Amino acid sequence: MSEKIAVLMGGRSLEREVSLASGRRVCDALTSAGYYVLPLDVTSDLVATLRSERPDAAYIALHGKYGEDGTIQELLEFLGIPYTGPGVVSCTLSWDKSVTKHLLAEKNIPTPAWVTLTADAFKEMGAATALDLVGDAVGGYPVAVKPGRQGSALGLTRVDSADDLADALLAALSFDSSALIEKWVEGVELAVSVLGEGPDALVLPAVEIVPPTSGLYDFSARTTPGDADFFAPARITAQIAEEVARVAREVHAVLGCRDVSRVDLVLDEAGHPYVLECNTSPGMTETSLLPMAAEAADMTFQDVVSRLIEAALSRR
Amino acid sequence: MGHARIVFDRWSDRYSDCIAGVRSSAVRDLFAAASRPDMISLSGGMPAVDLVPAEAVASAAREAVIHEGAAALQYGGSDGRLKTRELVADLMAEIGVRLKPSDLLITAGAQQGLDLLAKTFVNPGDVIITEGPTYVGALQAFSAYQPEIRCVLMDDEGMRMDLLEAELQRVGVRGAKFIYTIPNFQNPGGVTMSPERRRRLLELAREYDIPVVEDDPYGRLRFDGGHMKPLRSLDDEVIYLGTFSKIFAPGLRLGWMAAPKPILAKVLLVKQAADLCGSNFAQVTAERYFQGTRWRRTLAELTRTYAMRRDAMLAALDEHFPPEARWSKPDGGFFVWVELPPYVDCSTMLAEAVERGVTYAPGDGFFPDGRGKNCMRLAFCYASPEAIAEGVRRLSEVVEDRLELYRAFIAAGALPDRKEGAA
Repeated sequence: MSEKIAVLMGGRSLEREVSLASGRRVCDALTSAGYYVLPLDVTSDLVATLRSERPDAAYIALHGKYGEDGTIQELLEFLGIPYTGPGVVSCTLSWDKSVTKHLLAEKNIPTPAWVTLTADAFKEMGAATALDLVGDAVGGYPVAVKPGRQGSALGLTRVDSADDLADALLAALSFDSSALIEKWVEGVELAVSVLGEGPDALVLPAVEIVPPTSGLYDFSARTTPGDADFFAPARITAQIAEEVARVAREVHAVLGCRDVSRVDLVLDEAGHPYVLECNTSPGMTETSLLPMAAEAADMTFQDVVSRLIEAALSRR
Repeated sequence: MGHARIVFDRWSDRYSDCIAGVRSSAVRDLFAAASRPDMISLSGGMPAVDLVPAEAVASAAREAVIHEGAAALQYGGSDGRLKTRELVADLMAEIGVRLKPSDLLITAGAQQGLDLLAKTFVNPGDVIITEGPTYVGALQAFSAYQPEIRCVLMDDEGMRMDLLEAELQRVGVRGAKFIYTIPNFQNPGGVTMSPERRRRLLELAREYDIPVVEDDPYGRLRFDGGHMKPLRSLDDEVIYLGTFSKIFAPGLRLGWMAAPKPILAKVLLVKQAADLCGSNFAQVTAERYFQGTRWRRTLAELTRTYAMRRDAMLAALDEHFPPEARWSKPDGGFFVWVELPPYVDCSTMLAEAVERGVTYAPGDGFFPDGRGKNCMRLAFCYASPEAIAEGVRRLSEVVEDRLELYRAFIAAGALPDRKEGAA
């Protein structure tokens, strides 16, 4: 076994630094597992490098735009290089939170009520004149306002009253051309990682996130060790854990995911899970949620990475 | 199955109150994303050290080690080497400030001077008066000692004396620990305090019996107009901070402080506790580098280069920026301060700018109180004129796009009217 694996990391996304951290750990794990590892920062030389190096597979350690939105997946399909993680369609659907929520709602998978508004709807169609309707549309304040397509909670704001809605929308629209306004569900934040696909998919124990006292599990809290608290497995009953796992598996299936995904949910006070989003390239850093979940399931980081790359290699 | 709590930092409840509150900011994280090679940075105030002749520095360091030998490698006095202080006294004489070496203390950059002054003067809750906006490193240095920072807005002639006087009336005689000012090519404002304002500032400081701290890193980087007298040359009660970072190189970490004798003695005690003494190696290297006249040619070259970059930035702003924007026109230094309409939030706009491949420093970081959101600081010191022109062009697209969005919100009456801005 000495297949050549290109580890794709960095790139132009706003999550570049997180991706470089994920990528370095993945490189170490693949090297220990006996692979020949080719670490690649994603630049305009990427295609030329992949063509000359001809790796057996690519490990996608990219996060955010171009790494999770189907761009790199489509490119690797074209170059005939098998890659880790969900395929083009799943990535494209999952990257857009609004599309994801529409698909979940169609399948009666609970997701908080929401409204999506694009920058063009504001600029060209006067959408700002309808902001007074938002509260009723989603069932009242508080709401979460976030970019339609962005990772690591960048651009996320909790809005407690209609007065602050416009500023939050303008902030979110700096990160993407669409913004989501979503009913804020008060409760326990959970991240559930799923490995594999189909009926055999393995759902890892839910990780519970206790946001810092400052409020949000936002980008800073995600990247500052010790800022948020985590429990893995989550402090929930076996019955709820089972229900959460069932929902996560269903989300993974509805979006057509394979290999890996991380479903973010919130449990309301009655213990009902609401799905917020699905990530197709979950963080793999020291403080990331998927590695925590794996550890709670007695899997090492290396087990997870090996499993993902073997799945990619099997598609050669 | 147990529910394991996952702990990344088991000391998180042990840190001091003034440090525990410091969190990674969204802006810092966006800058992390900005490490991409194709990014044009108009955010950092890095000197153009590539123009400092490496072989001149190498021979200065070599001579220093050979001729000074053990002294370069040994501990030294907390106030710095006598020869270095003599060099600084000569440099200060050139800008009209007469000092004896005993009036001076060598510091690790002017930044250490800021920390030492705050540590020497400030109890929690004490008032410090600064310009608004002001140097973010000063705000950081001061904040560790938990002062109440009051900032005084500026106009094209620097700190507004009517507003300073009003503030002094509020705090009263000796009601603030010091007044901090960057009179030349202010960071981030880009403005220079007029001679009349300088005299008025010193009068007010005397009247209210509050020391003035004059931070002058950019004074010798003047492109247009005549030299302006440092505050310290008009009043020897002024505490003056200088630095080698802009006339030589920041990597040496060498600066200086001139202060009245009793203050200097106190600061010296504080400095002993902080670092025993500065780097002798850096000091002997600087002494050698400033022998002869070559450094003057290098400084002239640096100044010419910064002037060309300033010209490139102002021309690009004129060409590309929308009529709603206003900006300062600095006669020297590193920075242009841009003010957008009061409803624009430049912190959140940064994400879009990074996406388009350009960075700037959002204005609210330069205020202690959240003001300045509609402003940004653009640095012309580091990028080439071509990169500056392209960076400003990219940024203008971001600004236009944001303004269009804001206009849509305003037309719908969806944005509260905001009048407050900043100079």
